[in-house]
Amino acid sequence: MAEPILEVSGLVKHYPLTRGILFKKQTGAVKAVDGVDFTLAKGETLGLVGESGCGKSTVARLLCNLERPTAGSIRFKGEEITRLSGRALKAVRRNIQMVFQDPYTSLNPRMTVGDIIGEPFEIHPEAAPRGDRRRRVRELLDVVGLDPEYVNRYPHQFSGGQRQRIGIARGLALRPEIIVADEPVSALDVSVQAQVINLLERLQAEFDLSYVFIAHDLSIVRHIADRVGVMYLGRIVETGSDTQIYDHPTHPYTQALLSAVPVPDPAAREHRERIILTGEVPSPTDIPSGCRFRTRCWKARERCALEVPALAVPEAFRHTSGPAAHDSACHFAEEKQVVPVEEHGNGPG
Amino acid sequence: MLLEVRDLHVEFRTRDGVARAVNGVSCQVAAGETLAVLGESGSGKSVTAQAVLGILDMPPGRITAGEVFFRGRDLLKLKEDERRRVRGAELAMIFQDALSALNPVLSVGDQLGEMFVVHRGMSKRDARARAVELMERVRIPGAAQRVRDYPHQFSGGMRQRIMIAMALALEPALVIADEPTTALDVTVQAQVMDLLAELQRAYTMGLVLITHDLGVVADVADRIAVMYAGRIVESAPVHALYKAPAHPYTRGLLDSIPRLDRKGRELYAIKGLPPNLMRIPSGCAFHPRCPMARDVCRTDEPPLHAVDEDRGSACHFWRECLDG
Repeated sequence: MAEPILEVSGLVKHYPLTRGILFKKQTGAVKAVDGVDFTLAKGETLGLVGESGCGKSTVARLLCNLERPTAGSIRFKGEEITRLSGRALKAVRRNIQMVFQDPYTSLNPRMTVGDIIGEPFEIHPEAAPRGDRRRRVRELLDVVGLDPEYVNRYPHQFSGGQRQRIGIARGLALRPEIIVADEPVSALDVSVQAQVINLLERLQAEFDLSYVFIAHDLSIVRHIADRVGVMYLGRIVETGSDTQIYDHPTHPYTQALLSAVPVPDPAAREHRERIILTGEVPSPTDIPSGCRFRTRCWKARERCALEVPALAVPEAFRHTSGPAAHDSACHFAEEKQVVPVEEHGNGPG
Repeated sequence: MLLEVRDLHVEFRTRDGVARAVNGVSCQVAAGETLAVLGESGSGKSVTAQAVLGILDMPPGRITAGEVFFRGRDLLKLKEDERRRVRGAELAMIFQDALSALNPVLSVGDQLGEMFVVHRGMSKRDARARAVELMERVRIPGAAQRVRDYPHQFSGGMRQRIMIAMALALEPALVIADEPTTALDVTVQAQVMDLLAELQRAYTMGLVLITHDLGVVADVADRIAVMYAGRIVESAPVHALYKAPAHPYTRGLLDSIPRLDRKGRELYAIKGLPPNLMRIPSGCAFHPRCPMARDVCRTDEPPLHAVDEDRGSACHFWRECLDG
């Protein structure tokens, strides 16, 4: 693997729950992120998937230094960034930019598109001399496929897909090396989604960007990511290349998640096995002991309640070299194919 | 035929002009059948459902033409009180957002029970017992204890089950579900769709599933109607449509979604944007975005050509499209 541009280890974010007004007493904590490790290589796309409440958006906010972690470390090109402040923090933020989910609320309705995309230059004046900014903004509009003449229009004059392009242009303004995209296409219509995904891929190649791509849609993540991390209740439970995760999953949660995704092929419906999970995700204030997935797992045994499974290559696959040999936090990891293998192969993709 | 919609037209009068949301929709649903209505935002799929159910906001909405036959009666000609009796008892609706569709100040037991009190004249006590039965039927754990809880005390998936319970309370002949699982997580979505399919079989209901998700459609639908700019552009049995679409818009949609079962190369992207309903393009509404468009597409609106006995496509060049 190429040299990592981002190394995350032991990342934790707990939000304290307090009682009392004058004499605040901590009564517990929402454990939004509870020990996350991963690395991101230059030019690579890491996909983080999981259901609502798994902590994936909190990870995004921590990576962009929008919040401070409770514990753990984030290294950008070897430099610890979680404890930076002042000028050093500003410099790092320039290099890690975020694209948000909702193109309707993440753009200021009273600012013109030119001002929105140019705003990063106000905060980081060293990125572009004042006289050059207008030209840079027009260039950015062109890069994301919008007419540079739109520079004086307001967000409401654009469609959802166009607004997302504006958000992406803003993210690119400072020439960052990493873009953290939190559900960047989930608010868009199907036909527009593809346009934005293709744009993100083109920009990655053009500017040698590294992406952390956060989404709940497993099909989109398979399409765009080189490596995938599956999150459950504040932790990564399985991680590997897209083939390892999608075609050779070994963690029961990943298997259930993949089996639940509808596949746009009615021929698959008869011979597809669905793993329907019982119960609901436990509250992040009260995480089960041992393996946090055990309360919904059909394989759970006594050991699962006692011992936290480490995110590592499971014992069973440690001496093999096949695609099942990847990190999976399960005591009883087994390979199971849940995504149907396409037979006819006459599709366009 | 359980439901037959004929040439339905709906428009909205706004300050900026008239938005033509539904422009001649015709479709049928038989008992026990699942029809999926697929479309992107602004395609008219939800407005069609609202017009059928008689819950369209009028004004600004206006049904300008069409008939909606449900078990032989034209719903559009019924008086509001007659229609209200049909709705709920014979024809029910499941919405996307259960939290705003349920009454926040009534316990779920009272809301479910109300159906039996109002439509069946049951006593409150009997209605409460039926409410618990229904909650068990949609597999809400601890139904007897939770019947007094309020909607906000349930999770999203459980609320959606309560709404399904409410829709099915009086064993309607037809249920219209508008994006019933869109707001849910994927594992919960699977639970809810399975439940819906199971109950549909048990009651042999007709089901109209309104969605934008080609995956959900492939999983549950018998037939599919694809909508674009207020018209049905393709109507087909689900297997035939996924195998070989007969309309370039359908083909574009199928080609533009990333797949779980294969690592794609570049996605096909339909160029441009869905049309503004106040200025629907002349001829075929899809022509500005269509890779196959020719002169005739700009001038002549294509009728729904019969591709097969149970299949239609509103494309002048459906044969070419079918051949790929």
